[in-house]
Amino acid sequence: MDDYVVGVLSNIGVLAFLGLSAYLLLLTGEISFGQQAFFAIGAYAAGIATAIWGWPLAAGLLFGAAAGAAAALVVGVPTLRLHGLYFAIATLAFAEMVRLLFELLRYQVMIDGELVGPNGADGFRDIRYVFQNNIEPQQFLLVIYALLVAVLLGFALLERTRLGVSFRMIGVDYVLAQMHGVAVARHKLIAAGLAGALAGLGGGLYAHLTTYVEPRLFDVMLGVHSLAYGLIGGLGTALGPLLGVLIDIGLLESIRAFAGYRMIIFGGLVALLLIVRPRGLLDEILVHRIGGAWRRWWRRRAAKEAA
Amino acid sequence: MTILCRRAVLAAALWCVPVAAQAAETRAKADVNCQALPTRLQYDCTLRLANARTDEPLSGATVRVGADMPSMPMAHNVRPVQATAEPEAGTYRARLTLEMHGDWALRIDVTGPVRDRIVKLMRFEPGRAEPSPRSR
Repeated sequence: MDDYVVGVLSNIGVLAFLGLSAYLLLLTGEISFGQQAFFAIGAYAAGIATAIWGWPLAAGLLFGAAAGAAAALVVGVPTLRLHGLYFAIATLAFAEMVRLLFELLRYQVMIDGELVGPNGADGFRDIRYVFQNNIEPQQFLLVIYALLVAVLLGFALLERTRLGVSFRMIGVDYVLAQMHGVAVARHKLIAAGLAGALAGLGGGLYAHLTTYVEPRLFDVMLGVHSLAYGLIGGLGTALGPLLGVLIDIGLLESIRAFAGYRMIIFGGLVALLLIVRPRGLLDEILVHRIGGAWRRWWRRRAAKEAA
Repeated sequence: MTILCRRAVLAAALWCVPVAAQAAETRAKADVNCQALPTRLQYDCTLRLANARTDEPLSGATVRVGADMPSMPMAHNVRPVQATAEPEAGTYRARLTLEMHGDWALRIDVTGPVRDRIVKLMRFEPGRAEPSPRSR
């Protein structure tokens, strides 16, 4: 496979984690402009773990996910009682705070005669686990998609559990959900923690994919995109954010004529979809219809075989 | 069950224990100089690659140069181009066609005698290119 295709597919996979992170919070009815902060925390944490502490990749990625989850819980406790605009602004403020903190973070260690580690605004270079261990880009692509499939399966299972139903109930009407006995604050905290872990995992993968991170990578633009993926792809299924990423990176990237105008087209697409399909392409109604059609087809097939 | 739990905790703990530091390996370093071409957004980049430890020029390598815009990671990518070797040892040349002016992170992927990736932050403006102020 062409290196460029591998690179684009890797980017789609990594961004899907961020999209899924924002999607999880959208399920509970909250718009977060701050998921890029947990992505950044995961990227730095996983990078430090493998490049400085010499941890294996799996442990580094786990550490990145755990750091993202821990940060999300810390932010979640004071902010999840906020709703709507207030929550969105609080998450945005937190994300900017994290980005500025990374501009100040200096933690460099001499390894093999070279200083390795975050160096403030200059960023964190030499996250070279992939190169040190001769992992080919195709192999790393497999790692990304294996983890993504695992996460999507997790979402499929979540939708069938009481927890998943509670998330959607809170998203539709949190007051009604509370009246039905759902512990809204606790469930939102769980959603925030899981979303932080997903973003952290994506960040860890990103750091090892590019070998380089710096604070300005994680500005509000990335957060807006992570939200847009769910809103474009749809909130009916976890495949929605993936579809959103595929449209942005896959489709628009492949049409090179858009090149420098991609962001304008992407912004227009988001605006258009919010008007005509407020809950995205794969919204709950469409997913329900597809599910119903699938079940009918399956029943008919089973009946034919029985006859 | 208790034994199983203990083993799981032990395995998880071992998994997280820092592994021995990587053996010293050959790494590459690059000096990049880009010149604007008459065609808009086209730049001719000269790369001088060397062994980061010995400073010896890195000849015989396969070099691919791509670019990513730090202000929108993963969204603005330039398809990597193969750099051609110049007569001078360790020197390669690549022609980049960017999507817009601004700060770009050049990704220099080296394979052959050394497998490495070097990231250089450059600022591309109409008529000129220079290292990004952040990378100085």
